[in-house]
Amino acid sequence: MAGKPNDAPATYSPSLKNKKHPFYKNSDLDWVRPDGRGFHQCRPAFFRTGAVNAASGSAYAELGNTKVIVSVFGPRESKKAMMYSDIGRLNCNVSYTTFATSVRGQGSDHKEFSSMLHKALEGAIRLETFPKTTVDIFALVLESGGSDFPVLISCASLALADAGIMLHDLVAAVAVSSLGSNLVIDPVSEEESYQDGSLLITCMPSRYEVTQLTITGEWSTSRINEAMELCLDACTKLGKVMRSCLKEAASTTTD
Amino acid sequence: MGAQKNTGDWSSDMEIDAFRRLFPLRFYERHLTEAIRPDARPLKKCRDTSVAPGAVATADGSALAKIGSTTMLASIKMEVMTPSVDSPDEGNIAVEYYMPPICSPIVRPGRPAELAPVIAKQLSNTLLSSGMIDLKELSIISGKAAWMAYLDIYCLDADGALFDAALLSAVAAFSHLNIPAVSLNDEGKLTIVSEESNGEENVEKEPVNRDRRKLTISSIPLSLTCVLHKNYILADPTGEEESIMETSITTVLNTSDQLISLYKPGGPVLASTASIKECVSLTRQRIKELQDILSDSFASMDMN
Amino acid sequence: MAWGGSDPGCPLLRRLPDQTSGRRTTPAAGAPQFEGLMEIDRADGRTPNQLRPLSCSRGVLHRAHGSASWSQGNTQILAAAYGPKAGTKKNENPERASFEVIWKPKSGQIGKQEEEYEMILKRTIQSICVLTVNPNTTTSVIVQVVHDDGALLPCAINAACAALVDAGIPLKHLAVSICCSLVEPGIVMLDPTKLEEEKMKAFTYLVFPNSSHSVLNKGSAQSENNDETEQGLITSVTHGIMSVDDYLQCLERGRAATTKLSDFLRRNLQPQLPSNT
Repeated sequence: MAGKPNDAPATYSPSLKNKKHPFYKNSDLDWVRPDGRGFHQCRPAFFRTGAVNAASGSAYAELGNTKVIVSVFGPRESKKAMMYSDIGRLNCNVSYTTFATSVRGQGSDHKEFSSMLHKALEGAIRLETFPKTTVDIFALVLESGGSDFPVLISCASLALADAGIMLHDLVAAVAVSSLGSNLVIDPVSEEESYQDGSLLITCMPSRYEVTQLTITGEWSTSRINEAMELCLDACTKLGKVMRSCLKEAASTTTD
Repeated sequence: MGAQKNTGDWSSDMEIDAFRRLFPLRFYERHLTEAIRPDARPLKKCRDTSVAPGAVATADGSALAKIGSTTMLASIKMEVMTPSVDSPDEGNIAVEYYMPPICSPIVRPGRPAELAPVIAKQLSNTLLSSGMIDLKELSIISGKAAWMAYLDIYCLDADGALFDAALLSAVAAFSHLNIPAVSLNDEGKLTIVSEESNGEENVEKEPVNRDRRKLTISSIPLSLTCVLHKNYILADPTGEEESIMETSITTVLNTSDQLISLYKPGGPVLASTASIKECVSLTRQRIKELQDILSDSFASMDMN
Repeated sequence: MAWGGSDPGCPLLRRLPDQTSGRRTTPAAGAPQFEGLMEIDRADGRTPNQLRPLSCSRGVLHRAHGSASWSQGNTQILAAAYGPKAGTKKNENPERASFEVIWKPKSGQIGKQEEEYEMILKRTIQSICVLTVNPNTTTSVIVQVVHDDGALLPCAINAACAALVDAGIPLKHLAVSICCSLVEPGIVMLDPTKLEEEKMKAFTYLVFPNSSHSVLNKGSAQSENNDETEQGLITSVTHGIMSVDDYLQCLERGRAATTKLSDFLRRNLQPQLPSNT
């Protein structure tokens, strides 16, 4: 009656692995992206603030299959063990759901993203406005469909704005993947798994300042320049979408 | 975010808000004597409830349930296991309930919520003992392979009546579940038959032994949590109400009016038989509402 | 104190068989209202309404502030209470006394089931203690399962309650707990063993306050109406499917049986009270 013991038997997922060959050929320019976009075309972005009532501020973002939700708590009392600090602290945590990927995962914390999110955002937040206290930014990736981290950053900056935390500017982030001879913007998971290199820029679009730049893989200087131009351009556009989302939220609450 | 956006008379707003924070119990009791709650509900009215099946694309079955602002996302992933020797023609269900730090200010990363394992246990007891699902339907090849249904429920926003919302999302996810069609491959493992590829790769495989299908769902379990305070019974409490008035009763009935669980973990108020009967009858009414909500949500999903 | 009265004059007490001291009254005389159910055979020859032999000893541990060993048949629990200690833990509360419960299984790690028991036990203890007396303190109750032969949680609640009394923690009233199981619709059996529990269609753990012997509750206002003094339910946990009527029957039978349990608990606790005036 109490159910079977919890030490579950070994199971495996019946879904097919490596079912497809790489969908692009190195030199060929004729391949199509899995979702039919142009190489330099971003996925349509959907943002909504106020997704979680229990939080001081929150935002939900959906780009294609990538769905993330970010809650911001505070500014609130720092942990007792923390020393006195005359500027505020930031505490970030990113985790994935067990169903974020097509094969059931562990749903564990993502330490790397947590610390990178901290670094990407701290430059944009006016920490001196909440001394001695901590702002907690918690993110959950509901579904991982590629470019998870840039989406997380953009979503987190909206959540911060929703919580009324003082910011220099919103933070927009866009990634570019290098696939053979092509650069594709805002890659999906499939493209990410075959990429030769990736470049991620997080920037404050109105101030035209970069808070974080991450490059992995093989890049030539000219390609880096090209990719950066692409990213910065896309960030500006993304910034506009985010700004309009905030404006919309503000206009509905005052009505 | 609230304070800056308030417009109008500041002083009176502040006074009520201060009273609410300083004397929460007295604040509530003043409302209760007027038979109304701070969110303008009568005592026995539940919050707006909605269900959205199929919220997770990567899952075999999923649903998002909202009761007021309490939000639960349930997803089912099917994996293959070797059935146990005792029950060779039965699959199994593994229930996990998560409260990630995004859902509530009291949950911190690395320190999981105290309540989460308790709700997980309650959910799995309820789902397994209610007989909603015939575990035999989860069998693939008797004695060799069976389905293990991993049900993962995430609390996205915690504002009271967590168990009710979690159970509702779980039930909806099972109704939405499509068991994938599988075939046996060369290594003796089962793989999903992809719908589009009926080409050359399927020739060497054993014939598909099951079609893509739905489970038979019989007598659904659904629940209602009530908070007891003095002689008052408040249906479907918010998080604030639960923390101020600590006695709650969760009643789970199935659609054939059998009691699956009557759960009252302590609390300062003792429940008389009369109040238990009242809770049961409130649950009966609520189940009718929830059944309508469930069938409406599936009907509107089918239309799309 | 609530258990101070020495008058065992509750009429219900005499209707139940008493086997705690080894004496067994005839079942038919013990429970006339359930005569129709007597044909059910229990492996240990009990009637459906009969509890297993109870035993309780207090002060079994020397280092703990209070301790008790409680057994019902072969199910045995050892409970220890430490406190009230200065509230240093995260669950301290400046206005109320806090409690923590640690469940130690017979072997192995604790799982979800044990965590659920911990939570139920903690909430049950909180509901019987006077929380305003020792604010900003924590009292720890440690429950060690010695042997599990059915009705584990009720047994643990009874043991924890005795340990709290032994530690001198101020209580509003005692809590007595019982397991009622449903053999088949309409047939209730009390205090099942593990073997019986597994065969049952459903069972429920119930916790009631002890029967009111207290002078305070004998107000004339309440005595005119018997329903008013009916004992409310502190805790209820159920497993398995049953009809609502069956549950209500369990409730009634459980409530009747706890009168005997609470009498046993009271008798057991009384001799050791320093002064009983």
